[in-house]
Amino acid sequence: MLQCIFLISDSGEVMLEKQLTGHRVDRSICAWFWDQSISQGDSFKLLPVIASPTHYLFQIVRDGITLLACSQVEMPPLMAIEFLCRVADVLSDYLGGLNEDLVKDNFIIVYELLDEMIDNGFPLTTEPSILREMIAPPNLVSKMLSVVTGNASNVSDTLPSGAGSCVPWRPTDPKYSSNEVYVDLVEEMDAIVNRDGELVKCEIYGEVQMNSQLSGFPDLTLSFANPAILEDIRFHPCVRFRPWESHQVLSFVPPDGEFKLMSYRVKKLKNTPVYVKPQITSDSGTCRISMLVGIRNDPGKTIECITLSFQLPHCVSSADLSSNHGTVTILSNKTCTWTIGRIPKDKTPCLSGTLTLETGLERLHVFPTFKLGFKIMGIALSGLRIEKLDLQTIPPRLYKGFRAQTRAGEFDVRL
Amino acid sequence: MAPPAASQRYPSPSQPSGKSEVSDLKTQLRQLAGSRAPGVDDSKRDLYKKVISYMTIGIDVSSVFGEMVMCSATSDIVLKKMCYLYVGNYAKGNPDLSLLTINFLQRDCKDEDPMIRGLALRSLCSLRVPNLVEYLVGPLGSGLKDNNSYVRTIAVTGVLKLYHISPSTCIDADFPATLKSLMLHDSDAQVVANCLSALQEIWSLEASHSEEACREKESLLSKPVIYYFLNRIKEFNEWAQCLILELAVKYVPSDSNDIFDIMNLLEDRLQHANGAVVLATVKVFLQLTLSMTDVHQQVYERIKSSLLTLVSSGSPEQSYAILSHLHLLVVRAPFIFAADYKHFYCQYNEPSYVKKLKLEMLTAVANESNTYEIVTELCEYAANVDIAIARESIRAVGKIALQQYDVNAIVDRLLQFLEMEKDYVTAETLVLVKDLLRKYPQWSHDCISVVGGISSKNIQEPKAKAALIWMLGEYAQDMSDAPYVLENLIENWEEEHSAEVRLHLLTAAMKCFFKRAPETQKALGIALAAGIADFHQDVHDRALFYYRVLQYDVHVAERVVSPPKQAVSVFADTQSSEIKDRIFDEFNSLSVIYQKPSYMFTDKEHRGPFEFSDELGNISITPEASSDIVPAQQYEANDKDLLLGVDEKDDNKGLSNNNGSAYTAPSLESSSSISSQMQELAISGPATSATTPQSSFGFDDLFGLGLSTAPAPTPSPPLLKLNPRAALDPGAFQQKWRQLPISLTQECSVNPQGIAALTVPQSLIRHMQSHSIHCIASGGQSPNFKFFFFAQKESEPSNYLAECIINTSSAKAQIKVKADEQSTSQAFTTVFETALSKFGLP
Repeated sequence: MLQCIFLISDSGEVMLEKQLTGHRVDRSICAWFWDQSISQGDSFKLLPVIASPTHYLFQIVRDGITLLACSQVEMPPLMAIEFLCRVADVLSDYLGGLNEDLVKDNFIIVYELLDEMIDNGFPLTTEPSILREMIAPPNLVSKMLSVVTGNASNVSDTLPSGAGSCVPWRPTDPKYSSNEVYVDLVEEMDAIVNRDGELVKCEIYGEVQMNSQLSGFPDLTLSFANPAILEDIRFHPCVRFRPWESHQVLSFVPPDGEFKLMSYRVKKLKNTPVYVKPQITSDSGTCRISMLVGIRNDPGKTIECITLSFQLPHCVSSADLSSNHGTVTILSNKTCTWTIGRIPKDKTPCLSGTLTLETGLERLHVFPTFKLGFKIMGIALSGLRIEKLDLQTIPPRLYKGFRAQTRAGEFDVRL
Repeated sequence: MAPPAASQRYPSPSQPSGKSEVSDLKTQLRQLAGSRAPGVDDSKRDLYKKVISYMTIGIDVSSVFGEMVMCSATSDIVLKKMCYLYVGNYAKGNPDLSLLTINFLQRDCKDEDPMIRGLALRSLCSLRVPNLVEYLVGPLGSGLKDNNSYVRTIAVTGVLKLYHISPSTCIDADFPATLKSLMLHDSDAQVVANCLSALQEIWSLEASHSEEACREKESLLSKPVIYYFLNRIKEFNEWAQCLILELAVKYVPSDSNDIFDIMNLLEDRLQHANGAVVLATVKVFLQLTLSMTDVHQQVYERIKSSLLTLVSSGSPEQSYAILSHLHLLVVRAPFIFAADYKHFYCQYNEPSYVKKLKLEMLTAVANESNTYEIVTELCEYAANVDIAIARESIRAVGKIALQQYDVNAIVDRLLQFLEMEKDYVTAETLVLVKDLLRKYPQWSHDCISVVGGISSKNIQEPKAKAALIWMLGEYAQDMSDAPYVLENLIENWEEEHSAEVRLHLLTAAMKCFFKRAPETQKALGIALAAGIADFHQDVHDRALFYYRVLQYDVHVAERVVSPPKQAVSVFADTQSSEIKDRIFDEFNSLSVIYQKPSYMFTDKEHRGPFEFSDELGNISITPEASSDIVPAQQYEANDKDLLLGVDEKDDNKGLSNNNGSAYTAPSLESSSSISSQMQELAISGPATSATTPQSSFGFDDLFGLGLSTAPAPTPSPPLLKLNPRAALDPGAFQQKWRQLPISLTQECSVNPQGIAALTVPQSLIRHMQSHSIHCIASGGQSPNFKFFFFAQKESEPSNYLAECIINTSSAKAQIKVKADEQSTSQAFTTVFETALSKFGLP
């Protein structure tokens, strides 16, 4: 049972406070919290669950905004954190992002949303499609303002019936002139390459994202050509469990609009599309670094947005790095980023240069970890293939679209 | 630390001080109040927005209360919402003015638009002014009967709010009964869920003084109600599902069918996208199967993948909450997670709190097959940029070394750390090498040669310094320059700020003196003089003590200060298993995150469901209060140091806590009767017979008689009484099995009836259970079955573990027994064999 929610800006200012129960939580708690997070150096490093002298605090940080919830009684910590994550998702969905200005400009909407999302400290509805029916997002409001009437209420006149229907995630009867449904496979590759160049771990975390604009009460079936490779599956509440158990078919009545149908993991992959070969030799206070990046297994589509970033160790006093392709930037906090983009056909991108160590240090003892980034459109590297998407009753003017993309998630190359 | 009420942050200098602006607003609002001009709503909205934004910043705008209420006569819903918000915020401070709002709120409660009805009702109940409760009953009553579910949902929560303001009004209006019937009959899931939440709270608060409420509270946990909810759990939204799952945890199932029914109903919840639902389901599963050992283990297997998925798919905050729970399970049953160790590898970008938990889990799951890879991985972190994590990972390597029998490769790795020449790496490693040497003295040669090469000047951290000094003292004979290094350190006595280091210096100087007197004499003299003059009382006392013992007799002193030591077999655990069990019982709560049971961190006032007083919310934050949690941890840490660190007399302490196997038990040679022997053994407690041949001899002899006739067809009542309700979790079993030596191996034959009955492992498990020997794991198919059993002494928590392999074709059973108390393992084996021999007999 949460007692209060605060939104705190990245400078520690309380932007919004929403008291949830009869027991007011004094704002001074935020000052205490802020002191704590400053003493930790960075609010991001602060534990998500901490105990203040008077309350248990749950916090999450999104784009510099801290969402802080207070409670004085035992409660499932994950419930509080999940809820805050949902609040953050809904807010950034509504406001088109999450930052200080957006929250301050739209604080009335934020209040309204919180009012519907939680009552008396217990979460009510966090389903975006239902909230959207109760409270119109701000951009829609302005549209309505200019087009329809002078009455710019951002509250719809109709009540959400979602809560009343037996499918809580779907509004009762949406109507579309053209029926469209899109399925996106969005995958992230998480990998660790250790010091010996060995691929210690290589996994794909994937999501099936859908955008459904279908009238009435559609019943969909989505099947994969190779469902056996999937592990650690999680479903949107709309997915029926039994059909999946018996023949690995996703059968569901979709929510309206965009949503995440399922997430999965494919483990023990043997190959990465890109290789990174870093080398560091150090001697008498300087350190030579050279790094090659190239395509290892051509996925058949263009690999884009290749970047390599790393933190220079503290003991490096200056760095002189250059590359034969792309750009190298070194920020004041010693974060070094090499933006490669696409790999050219005629040469292998190479970064080289020297690092000067602090005086007194002979050799480098602390080694950076390189983080690789890339993006490949049009392919799911896990190899997962969608077989077909069926609708029980086919509405008029139906359009089905499928896409896939893979990008690097947590891709660490250690040295 | 207490921030002044108007802290420097808000209102910041750039923000309006408020006073003049507020009075401006006041006049403007007053002008608009009566106006019916077109467009007036727009100007009102702007003003309201200003008021609310001041309120949000923290400026007190309560003085415009009257004007706000006057302007509230509007049909614009946004205006209404802003007004409700404002009123809700300030009503409590202005009870008299609040009366003004009642009127328009009550009118709105009868509005045509269900949304307005709902919002008005919510605001009405949120006023929380005690003397206005009489106005709530009517609107609430009709709200509960409203034909729109949105209004009913709000009305139900409103009842709970009313209850908190005035319990008697709520009870007198008979609202709980109305809620109950709504809960069981309403078609809307959210209404039902809110009823459940409200009733749980109301009845548990009422239960203290009303028997009826007590009964009602119980009835929520009755089978029909539980199944009513569980059967339709999919209709509820995710948060309500959490609520229902929490209720289900408290339900006591009638039999095992009941348990399996519930688990079948809930199985798909494990794949829910909301982590809170998954975790609540996991708790239900774990609690339900607590008494069914083998199913419990299957549950672990089942929930494992769900939890591991959650860890890697959410935000770092979510991962942390799940990892904390996973951590608890991993520590309880490491072997189940042993194959998944790669899940606990740290990625560079993860926050350190996540990394720290992962390191602990890597330590826990390390076993013979994966140690090499885990240690390789951990060593990579040691060169990590994040110093705190580098330290943690070195500690983790050390902990793994202390867990494993095969430490060969690990010791090499640790010694490589010393060559990295990073001061924090060296410091951590020294502490570990010291602990390792205490457990594996056979490595002293390799370690000492490396440690000897470290210059004591490079070590600043007290713990590391203390560790080095301990090694200098303990291995003075192997390190050629030990006396001189010590002498150097003693000469800088004045600059040594840590009392721990000074204590170690004294002891090390003594030990060194016994081994190399001529070289150390001078240094010891200086140390004793400095110690006696030391202002720290422990240092002073110890120096004085050493001095007097030396004066009395050097040989006695040597026996006291530097007796031959035996290796420590198990270091004391920092957390007792009782506490771990408590935390496990409180799965899916804050206890897991803080890693301590709730009674250790919640005050009494906070523990009761909702008994906090208003004052609590408002007390200023004082430095005393803020020392709430941290000191407890510090205390624990100190405690641990005492157990693990200081010097040999602590070995004693660690051992006596801990069934160690080193110190001798009192000899029992002349006891004549069994009973007196048993008694004495009981007194000597955890001491073991490993070093007391007399006592085990006495026992062997006594039971040897029985053995010659065993398995006796009509055995006298077992000499060893076993606890019929013994409990041991698989994790503890696994750990003990690894740590304890085999005390007995026996082969015996199984009678033909037994073989005939042993078609499935379960038949033998039930049979042995009737003899108070419990099965923790079993497997195999005809003709080979394998069982792991455990039993506990009736009177004390002393465990027996047994592995039993039965081959039905040869009708032979192989038994391996391990025991906390080695001396009674023979007795247990006899009991075990007797029980086994009766298997299959009618």
